[in-house]
Amino acid sequence: MTIVQVIVGGLLLGAVYALFSSGLTLIWGMMNVINFAHGEFVMIGMYIAFLIVTFLNGGPLAFGPAAAALLFLFGIVVYYSLIRHVMRGPMLAQILSTFGLALLLRYLAFWIFTANFKTLPQDLLPGVINVGGILIGVPQFVAGIVAIVLTIGLHLLLTRTAVGSQLLAVAEDRQAAMLMGIRPDRMQAIAWGLSGAGAGIAGALIATFYYISPTVGESLALTAFVVVALGGFGSVPGALAAGLVVGVIQSLSAYLLGPVYKDIIVYGLFVAILWVRPEGLFGKAGA
Amino acid sequence: MLLSAREVSRSFGSFVALANASLDVGEGEIVGLIGPNGAGKSTFFNCVAGDIPPTTGRIVFSDIDVTRASAATHARLGIGRTFQVPATFEEMSILDNVMVGAFLRHHHRGEARAAAREIIEFTGLKALAESPAKSLGTPGRKRLEIARVLATEPRLLLLDEALAGLTPTEIQEAIALVRRIHAKGVTIVIVEHIMEVILTLAERVLVFNQGLTIASGKPREVVNDPAVIEAYLGRRHARDPGAHAP
Amino acid sequence: MIWFGILLAGLFVLYPWVIADDFYGRMGADVLLAAIGASAWNILGGYAGQISVGHAVFFGVGAYLPLLAFTHLGLPPVAGVPLAVVISLGVAVVIGLPTFRLHGHYFSMATIAVAELIRIAISNWDFVGAATGLMGPAVARTWLDLSFRSPIPYYYLFLVVLACLLLLTWHLQRSRMGYYWRAIRAGERPARSLGVPVARYKLYALLLSAAFTSLAGSLYSLMVGFIDPESGFGILRSVEMIIIAALGGAGTLFGPLLGAVILIPLQTTTNSLFGGGGSGLTYILYGGIIVILARFEPGGLLDLARRIAQWWSRRRDGVAVRHAA
Repeated sequence: MTIVQVIVGGLLLGAVYALFSSGLTLIWGMMNVINFAHGEFVMIGMYIAFLIVTFLNGGPLAFGPAAAALLFLFGIVVYYSLIRHVMRGPMLAQILSTFGLALLLRYLAFWIFTANFKTLPQDLLPGVINVGGILIGVPQFVAGIVAIVLTIGLHLLLTRTAVGSQLLAVAEDRQAAMLMGIRPDRMQAIAWGLSGAGAGIAGALIATFYYISPTVGESLALTAFVVVALGGFGSVPGALAAGLVVGVIQSLSAYLLGPVYKDIIVYGLFVAILWVRPEGLFGKAGA
Repeated sequence: MLLSAREVSRSFGSFVALANASLDVGEGEIVGLIGPNGAGKSTFFNCVAGDIPPTTGRIVFSDIDVTRASAATHARLGIGRTFQVPATFEEMSILDNVMVGAFLRHHHRGEARAAAREIIEFTGLKALAESPAKSLGTPGRKRLEIARVLATEPRLLLLDEALAGLTPTEIQEAIALVRRIHAKGVTIVIVEHIMEVILTLAERVLVFNQGLTIASGKPREVVNDPAVIEAYLGRRHARDPGAHAP
Repeated sequence: MIWFGILLAGLFVLYPWVIADDFYGRMGADVLLAAIGASAWNILGGYAGQISVGHAVFFGVGAYLPLLAFTHLGLPPVAGVPLAVVISLGVAVVIGLPTFRLHGHYFSMATIAVAELIRIAISNWDFVGAATGLMGPAVARTWLDLSFRSPIPYYYLFLVVLACLLLLTWHLQRSRMGYYWRAIRAGERPARSLGVPVARYKLYALLLSAAFTSLAGSLYSLMVGFIDPESGFGILRSVEMIIIAALGGAGTLFGPLLGAVILIPLQTTTNSLFGGGGSGLTYILYGGIIVILARFEPGGLLDLARRIAQWWSRRRDGVAVRHAA
């Protein structure tokens, strides 16, 4: 394996990170809320893929959209049943709500699916691509490309469509948006839905080349936090750039220093960002 | 000169909220800041209060340069402010709210409490001292904010639309309170929409429009200034209740 | 009210004598230990409103240092306690200084990241036992080893530490520090405008909280005699502290103790009831409780009790209260 291969692998994985982090950063930009259960949303996407493959014999074209749709709905439900209420309350309630949700989902998964790792069949997206001497697994390649397309799509949705500009208006200035007739409540629900969908598809994509377990949520959530912090809270293009960077850093660390360092370097990077440039590459300051 | 703000500007990205505003306030004066919504007076106010730093310009308070100083430093030096949307400590009692202010000048609980009680009496909140702040209506909260900041013993008090949303009776009471505060030697800068308040209280007025200061002088002069009339009438918004024609 | 308090205190003191049983004695010690950790968290998360979700980092440091002192230097574990506090304070500064300048959620995220960082680092570091962990003295060499066979000495040790912590907390929360903490929790912007040095006071809360959480960790490894990355630094350790404090009432003096009295026996029961899958179900329960608390009763049980008491006394007086405008 050459360095170039490692970097390309990192970029593809990083694109997937960008995909599920973009929803998270959108929510932050609109509501100054961090969803601690975001990793579990991704995990649910993975299990949806597993269930559809195992019980319905579906392929990626089935479980991809299914994960997106189901998690879009789930995001909206979570918003209306929980988030909307705690937003108006004390900080403790805000943080505990998604944190508790994360625990609940994670241990429900443990109970339902047990701790045993599951994997999707290898023949779903078989083979290896050779691009100029670099070998890439087909699932990783597909995942990376789809992720980049969707993330760019989200950015275009936000900047070019009516709904998107309404979402951004609420993120920019809630009061002003209200005065213009936009309903922040509905926009926030949509944002949660989009965030869920992004996480769901990302999970479905990851499931094609990675193991599925109830514990994946924790490190994925932290990776998302790092991406969001690096890219700048509230910035989707920032999340894309930062996702790629984090993916590459992670792969290089694993390759050069050993698999253990993969997480250590990324979390260390997070602490470093907080010290040096908390507003990230593109974001507005959180203070 | 107690406060001297020179050429203060503030931009948010490419949006210029405030351009080259200057204001001198002498000790013991009451100065009013008026102008339509979005005119920049709140931005100026927040710069003087230390809430946001100006992009350019200089602010000097009592011979100390406070341009980049934090809001907490401003308070320590003797600049106090209230908030347009009252930001009282909801779950704490009125007494505790005011004590937080008092603790700036009194480090011990007993002293702070005594000082707070005095202020509460002075501002007419005595009957409600033990009630939680959240049980108050908006006028009560505004009064509490004033009491709380008074406990920090400010030399310069910045009131941000402290009288908006009050009934005529409440406005009269509030004006009386501001006068009592002024009589104690506190210099006051007041941002207000309600012309009647400005005309009654302010000795001098500074008018903002679209980020610039367009007029300054005695209230009667200013309200007859053609530029000011145009600013209000020419840009009157249906939702601005205070800007009636002079 | 005072008599009720004295009675309650008496109950706590006499408990191990009355229940002369190792199992329940140990549970009592567990309750007190959990109360110490949760009360320590409460200083930062309850009073000052800064929600740390990675507080296990301080607990872990506190738990590891004594056993390190024993394993590598042959010292009685208690010798490692002061150094543990110092290191915990250092970690607190590293997390607190940059994040306290920023909005609330930054701090929470930073705490969880640092806790995980350290947990992974410890899991792979042989000097501290890597994934297997460290053990304390199998048999007490001298009384200094604090390695008792019965849970009763631990119970009283923990009771003394808890009493000191609660006394200190009580004193602080009625002082200027306490008022400033509550102001910060209620609103940082208005607090600043009143001259409160927000970042500095947040740091004070963090330092105090970190020191006592470290102490809780040390007491844990003294009693249990074993520590590994998961039980020291794991997220479930952090969760336990938060849920116990929040259940009883974050920001109140006795809330964490109440939470511990309810939750620890509950946890012991569910763990034994559901056998092997038990711990999974326990955490489903925890997650559910946290969500319900957050959604309906963020003030915890003490707040609920206070509101019920108010409603009851209003009903009894037959007065419909209209608050002054």
